[in-house]
Amino acid sequence: MPSSRPSSDLILHRLSSSDYEIKLKAIREVKNQIIGNRTKKLSYIKLGAVPAVADSLAKANADSDFGSNLIVQSAAALGSFACGVDQGVRAVLDAGAFPNLIRLLSAVDEKVVDAAARSLRMIYQSKLAPKFDFYKEENMDFLLSLLRSENENLTGLGAGIVIHSCETSDEQNILCHAGSLEKLISGLDGSISQRDASLESLATILKNNPEAVSKFVELQNERALRSVIELTKDKYPRTRLLACLCLICIKNSSSCYLQDIGIKTKLIYILLELLDDSGQVGEESSFAFSSLVAGKEDLQKLAFEANAIDKFYNHLQNCALHPKRLEGIFLALADLCSKLECCRSKFMSLQVLNLLINALTHDEANVRTAACICLKSVSRSIKSLSAGYFTNERIVIPLVRLLSDLCTSVQVAALGAISNIVVDFTPDKSTIIQCGGLKELVQLTKSMDSSLRLNAVWSLRNMVFLADKMCKEAIFMELTVSAVASLIRDPEPSVQEQALALVRNLVDGCMDCIEFAFAEDGIILDAVGSQLQKSSKIEIAIQGMYVLSNIASGNEFHKEAIMPLLFPETENGSHSFLSQYLQSTDSSLRTSAAWVIVNLTVPASPGAFGRIVKLRNFGIVSQIKRMVNDSCMDVKLQARLALDQIISFGDS
Amino acid sequence: MPVRVALENTTTPSHVSGANSRRNSFQSCSLLSVGQAFSGTQNVSSLQKDEAWRVNVRIQGCDLEHGYLCGTMEALNVPMADTPVVTFWEGEIVDTKNYTFFTGKWEAAPEDDIRHWTKFDSFGPLLGQVEMDGGKSADLSNYPYIFMRWKEQYFVNVGTDCGLTIAGFYYVCFSCNDGSISGFYYDPNSSPFQKLELKATNDGRSGFSFSSYELQ
Repeated sequence: MPSSRPSSDLILHRLSSSDYEIKLKAIREVKNQIIGNRTKKLSYIKLGAVPAVADSLAKANADSDFGSNLIVQSAAALGSFACGVDQGVRAVLDAGAFPNLIRLLSAVDEKVVDAAARSLRMIYQSKLAPKFDFYKEENMDFLLSLLRSENENLTGLGAGIVIHSCETSDEQNILCHAGSLEKLISGLDGSISQRDASLESLATILKNNPEAVSKFVELQNERALRSVIELTKDKYPRTRLLACLCLICIKNSSSCYLQDIGIKTKLIYILLELLDDSGQVGEESSFAFSSLVAGKEDLQKLAFEANAIDKFYNHLQNCALHPKRLEGIFLALADLCSKLECCRSKFMSLQVLNLLINALTHDEANVRTAACICLKSVSRSIKSLSAGYFTNERIVIPLVRLLSDLCTSVQVAALGAISNIVVDFTPDKSTIIQCGGLKELVQLTKSMDSSLRLNAVWSLRNMVFLADKMCKEAIFMELTVSAVASLIRDPEPSVQEQALALVRNLVDGCMDCIEFAFAEDGIILDAVGSQLQKSSKIEIAIQGMYVLSNIASGNEFHKEAIMPLLFPETENGSHSFLSQYLQSTDSSLRTSAAWVIVNLTVPASPGAFGRIVKLRNFGIVSQIKRMVNDSCMDVKLQARLALDQIISFGDS
Repeated sequence: MPVRVALENTTTPSHVSGANSRRNSFQSCSLLSVGQAFSGTQNVSSLQKDEAWRVNVRIQGCDLEHGYLCGTMEALNVPMADTPVVTFWEGEIVDTKNYTFFTGKWEAAPEDDIRHWTKFDSFGPLLGQVEMDGGKSADLSNYPYIFMRWKEQYFVNVGTDCGLTIAGFYYVCFSCNDGSISGFYYDPNSSPFQKLELKATNDGRSGFSFSSYELQ
């Protein structure tokens, strides 16, 4: 027997031997050594064994006994190289084996067909497999012939192709119209592997496709749907999981089906129970759980009542958790706590936070990301934010460190969590500043990546909310005036919006804070005015108007400084943005514009009369009069207040 | 206002974000928004003495879709405390969708509810409707007053052994016209109708200023 380490001269030589027996033996040896052994696979790939095996496959005669033996062993070896190893898939494809394997599916010898089919199934489990073109008629004929076959390996391959390549709704529809649903449904009554393959490929076709879902459900008077529901009780965990995933796809695609509380509760219980599986099924069940409850308050409530948080917590306490499992559990908890305060309270009371903090420093980026996403969800609780649960160093220090993580998705997730935890209703934000968070955030506002920039500005905006003057000064100095002006003019509208909201918060609070907008000859104010002139996005306009309105609540100098922005000398007043925004169909924008006028016309201020004259000349007073019966109560009240103030100076 | 130690569990509605939600069909009012501060007094008179505490309130969270509000309340010159006493409270907005005029908990019977709501002049026009169906058919979306119940949840800066309690809750009326708030404290074990009177403050500014945050 050869030694366990491949001797490079010998094995390659024997694989390429013209002697059938030597070649067959060599292929069999390689096959036996690499099964389930990633290291050996990589070793042989490096050696160049794959082209040699692929060559044997290509040249062997499927119609002879010798040939078919060689093909069976070669195909098995190639399949094994491809199984779970991307370099293996690449090597097999590069060696040109794929078309030959396809060709061999039509061989007379069933053993050859089985070997080729199994090998192709391994390849199709990888993302690197060639994309199947469903648009070509001959391809669809081929696929349907696979699905129609009596041979389980062929139907399995057909399902594998669907699972791998069906991505768009057009492709889903092609498959539906060609009758693939019916074929796959018949697989639900087959062997374990047929059932699993059918469940997985059905889910692929039905995902986010209401038309496909209707078609499926209506087939055979809902018999297929009932079969899938029945399979959620199967004795095999993998089948139960796949059946749940299929039902979740149906439920999420269409609001007509599976909406009763019974099925929802059943799905929750089954997925929570599957967590106990120690293998891949256990890992995947939390991801399935996420897709069930994400965005759905009713399901989150049911899951809460089923003690889901306790169950996830119990699993987290097992310290030897595989990273994938950890990631899945934190993402599931994030979804569970995304909307309901009761879930967040439970999370906090169980002290899951301690385990989450540990996960912030995990080796795997996906785990760090998932922990941040979970923290972001849990920190939506204003009650907890107000109680100061998230602003201690144990959380802030590791979180700030993640702002310079090598992986962008970790940075973005950390920023999401930070943008919430800085809303702690304290005036000084001392913890985050002392932990170096301010410097990191400001650094990220200069990133080329727009999602990092956006989330960094967002965090700073929230940080400035109700901050005291000293804290605002620290933030302002770190950011610099020109950077703020530049962020207001950022190419991304969402960054502009957050930058304006940041300035809005800066100029709120004590009167002195208004001066921030006037620093360095008022370049920030210029930038605000410029955005208000040209922006068509309502959210940007609202934030900009509140900047002006907040400034206008200051002293005489501040109020006067706003006027040139509202009524630029070159501009015809009737086209001013103020006039435009007062007539907006958006009530929040009308409200913000009305407040500018209220603040400009406060009777006690000396220059009010002069400003009112100007407002009248530009037709604004007439506009305000028309707004006293606005459909939105808030707008109506502020318009009336403004008008009362204006009238107090004499009749219009 | 704190009277005796007792913390209660309440079922809180879900609240997605603490910032003012912009695009909604619910009655919103600029002066009842996050960051807004109010100050005034709470009358804590009993048969023995006449006493009033200075009170500051700050709104921290507002979710109109779920009829939810929250914030802090700070009581100054409290005799048994060395420092101002701060509590965190959560509010239910009577919008007839999430909450009606009938409390249905906190030892407040419908008669107690009516007795308290009628102490607000602005409630007068709604009385008939409320007696009939709890006000379910009342259209409050254009009414310039917002009715709420505020329930203190915990002490922020003192221990529960401070001798004060937060067992009861406030019936509150907010005027959208001028941002003034009046309220009556209800606790079966305290003097009845202790009155809260607050006005919106503006940091000495000439007009009103508004800030905001947005949770992710």
